[in-house]
Amino acid sequence: MKTVSINIDDSVLVQQSQAGDTTAMERLILKYQHRIYNVILKMCGNADDAAELAQETFVKVIESIEKFKGRSSFYTWLFRIAVNLTLNHCQRSARTATQSLDAEEIDAEGETSQLLKDLLSDDRAVDPALLAQSHELCELAKQSLLELEEPQRAVVVLRDIEGMDYAQIADVLNIELGTVRSRLSRARSNLRETLETMLK
Amino acid sequence: MKPNPNLDELLGSFMDGELSPRQRTEVQRMAAHDPQVARRLQQLQNCRSLFCSLPAAKAPSDLLEQVKASLERNSLLQEQPLIGHRSVGAWHLAFRQFVSAAAVIALLGVLGVVVYQILAPVPHGVGPIASDGLLSLPRPDPGITPPATMVADAGFTGRLELRTARLTQVDTRVAREIENSGLSGRLEPDLVANKRVYRITGSREGVNRLVASLSGVWQYIDNAALQVDRPGNSGVPVIVESITPEQAAGIVAQQSTNASIEAAAGYAVMNRMAKNMPGGEIRPLVPYDPSTLLASGSIPKPIETGPDTSTPIPPARPEGKAQVSLTIVLQSTN
Repeated sequence: MKTVSINIDDSVLVQQSQAGDTTAMERLILKYQHRIYNVILKMCGNADDAAELAQETFVKVIESIEKFKGRSSFYTWLFRIAVNLTLNHCQRSARTATQSLDAEEIDAEGETSQLLKDLLSDDRAVDPALLAQSHELCELAKQSLLELEEPQRAVVVLRDIEGMDYAQIADVLNIELGTVRSRLSRARSNLRETLETMLK
Repeated sequence: MKPNPNLDELLGSFMDGELSPRQRTEVQRMAAHDPQVARRLQQLQNCRSLFCSLPAAKAPSDLLEQVKASLERNSLLQEQPLIGHRSVGAWHLAFRQFVSAAAVIALLGVLGVVVYQILAPVPHGVGPIASDGLLSLPRPDPGITPPATMVADAGFTGRLELRTARLTQVDTRVAREIENSGLSGRLEPDLVANKRVYRITGSREGVNRLVASLSGVWQYIDNAALQVDRPGNSGVPVIVESITPEQAAGIVAQQSTNASIEAAAGYAVMNRMAKNMPGGEIRPLVPYDPSTLLASGSIPKPIETGPDTSTPIPPARPEGKAQVSLTIVLQSTN
């Protein structure tokens, strides 16, 4: 038996949800739950917190769906809720996170060190598949993300992990397009410096 | 290569596909002609590849169920305070209603007492009653059984002292009136120097007629006082100074000793007040014609003009054979 997946536009599901169709809302949650969870996890760095924040995000979406006017897309509205909740959570736990990072010195060793060295070299490109297979390198990347300030972390996560364009990031974070560009540039520069520090 | 923020922004936008076609062409031309730009672009692309290649985490499988459970908890948490709020509000409302009801009841009670005090019928014999010149006297309440002492002391014992400069004339007139009153045989003259004493015992009506008949001699009396003894000589007798014949007749005419004592007490107070007032007397509201009243041979009764006239006054309790004792003392002032 062949399963047919019908891709219904978000706006239709939103309208149905606003009309009280719980199934439509469930479909929206199922559609975005992994992407929301992933963004939150990359921003906060803790799986339990990410699960709780994702849950809180969807609860807030359900409770506020009647107020959604459609000025922006449901997608950016949903991520705005998620990012704001996560940023607030990160600010509350910033002191604890900083203490944790200060206490834990992470250094690349062995294959990871060589892979990172190749990554940071400026003469050749690195195969992304190799990067994804290196669990340690991924952990270094996540850790370097957490060392960024929350605003810079947010733009990097939304762009490089979630794949939003600059306009969508500006909409989610409610900032100017130029701010997105400059903030993203500084964030990438800082990430590279952090990774270079880990290599030494 | 030293990082150049402006160049990094441009190269980053190039990587992200956020440049216009013309800008893209320009960046490609720069990278092709400048090895440092090409190297920097490679650094940025490698770094970006690292984060883009991070494995996407999957949400917990029960996230949807958790969301539903959270919604239920929220609704319960929102309902609980509401319920508590309502119960507190309801209790507060009930308390306020109770207090309001109690206040209304209390107010009605107070108003009821006030209205009752205003509208309640004045009992017989209580309170001032306008009369035809004589102080109105309390009448026995028909609803109250007189105390036993009143029944036993239905008679009257008193002493009327008349001081005059014309003792002989007054004595002659008093003696004649006593004889005419039909109380002869009970006349007990006690002749003393400058003093005459008549001890009279008889029915209340007879003594009453005698006292009324003495009004003619009052013009020769300098000072008159009536002493009314209490039943069984219990307590201090009541003395009415400057008593008039009408007052004396009114006191004797009372149906009981207690009523006579109360009447005497009233006259005593009134006469003391009159003595201290300009002119030395309290004039009656209605002109009083003693000749008419006394000539009729009956003592005038107060006419009640109070609000309650509906309650019939029972007829006076028959005196039976109660005896009245009055001692008349004539004293010369010379």
